[in-house]
Amino acid sequence: MIEIKNLTKKFDDFTAVDSLDMTIETGEFFGLLGPNGAGKTTTIGMLSTLLLPTEGEIRIDGQILSRKNPALKRKISVITQEYSMRQDMTMDEIMEYQGRLYFMPVKQIREKTEELLEFCGLKEFRKRTVRRLSGGMKRKLMVCRALLTDPEILLLDEPTAGMDALSRRQMWNLLRQLNEKNLTILLTTHYMEEAQNLCQRVALMDKGKLEEINTPSGLIEALGTYAVDEVTAQGVRSRYFHERREAISYLESISGQTTLRDTTLEDVFVERAGRHLM
Amino acid sequence: MGIITILWEKWREFRRDFYKITLAAMVAPLMYLIVFGMGIKTISNGEPYLNFLIPGVVALTTMNGSFNAIAQNLNVQRLYEKAFDQVMISPTPLWQFIVGQVIGGSLRGLYAGCIILLLTIPIGTGLVFNGVSFLIMFLNGAVFSIIGVVVSFYAKSHTDVPRFSNYVIMPMAYLCNTFFSTEQMPSGIRQVVGVLPLSQTSGMLRNIAVGGNADAKGIAILAAYLIGFGGMAFWFLYKKKNL
Repeated sequence: MIEIKNLTKKFDDFTAVDSLDMTIETGEFFGLLGPNGAGKTTTIGMLSTLLLPTEGEIRIDGQILSRKNPALKRKISVITQEYSMRQDMTMDEIMEYQGRLYFMPVKQIREKTEELLEFCGLKEFRKRTVRRLSGGMKRKLMVCRALLTDPEILLLDEPTAGMDALSRRQMWNLLRQLNEKNLTILLTTHYMEEAQNLCQRVALMDKGKLEEINTPSGLIEALGTYAVDEVTAQGVRSRYFHERREAISYLESISGQTTLRDTTLEDVFVERAGRHLM
Repeated sequence: MGIITILWEKWREFRRDFYKITLAAMVAPLMYLIVFGMGIKTISNGEPYLNFLIPGVVALTTMNGSFNAIAQNLNVQRLYEKAFDQVMISPTPLWQFIVGQVIGGSLRGLYAGCIILLLTIPIGTGLVFNGVSFLIMFLNGAVFSIIGVVVSFYAKSHTDVPRFSNYVIMPMAYLCNTFFSTEQMPSGIRQVVGVLPLSQTSGMLRNIAVGGNADAKGIAILAAYLIGFGGMAFWFLYKKKNL
């Protein structure tokens, strides 16, 4: 279980994360959503100990997370937003380096590398250096690297950024399988479809503050399960309804190009972000 | 265990760039020896100048070898590749990472110094380089490796490391008892230059080369630099809030 209490991170006068309180249960698939600059990556940075909090604390299974706690760090794997890998290392070397940093026996590292590269379709490129890999391949390699050490907690900061649609779906399936094995996953993403499909609960953040924690369906229901899109001179305008008959009756009252559809998490995000921006 | 991991990474790097590393270690010192020692054939205190020069060049080669092996590489890993994050996130204790870097860098410096010693064998200078000389070369390498670690940690951009080399390492290479004795410097400057690590290393190697002993004060000064810069590196990794 991850417990975040009063977590605050300031960079000089700028508060990137402001008094964040939340608990993520063991085995939960949890999403951290918000517009750019909401504080998601900073939160991941503190959970991975790359950044130290200005105030507050993070506890994992009751113990305080710090840079001096290797036993706790052993439980965590991180996929950062940027490609954090040596450019001059081959895939095999990247994996071996990671395994060694996590004190895995070399034989086990090699067996697991074989399995993971095969699974991600990277095996034939294993002797290529990172600088000769495409963006998608690098992303997959980062996933393999994170899974090599059998973590109990996986922190994912935009894990599917730069992946094609097929690879993204493969990644979703993989993450689902891992979560079914009781792996706790914390995901930040800009793809709302991803969060809606994968996360059991999501936290909405804005300007460093936690706005709400709810299930994706709970957030959608609060906005209205049915959406009517109306094409106007200013662009597409959406209205949301709790009852289908309300949506149909509205649809009948307006003319022009209209669509009735289910509300998505993206609608929730756009509504909230739009409201704050105005 | 973490130290072995870092040394494994350094060894992999050394094996891959073996020719580049070896040639880079040879070129500048060889030029110094040819130009100052063999081209301009001078005599210093009744001895060939080459005999004065060789220990100094060995000292500065270990300095450059160690500093360059760590500073630029770690700086790129931290600021550009972000590969350093992988280490920070991992359970490898951060002190082991620093110690691994220092040992790896010292060995690279020692390797560079040994190449110069091998190249000077045919000249037949009669200078003595024994186990203590190699220990001093290693210690000098350790000092400049930890300086490399600290510079790479505190660098804010890719150009900061070359800038530090230009303003600190390069002047040290010329002034610290390498090409001429610090005794010839004006008082005040002489004392300041005298406590710099390269001056101590050059002096001790030169003493041993002519049959003398290493100076305990010199070793203590090198150890003090190692501890001081080590403290800065540890503070950065354990206490700095934003890496």
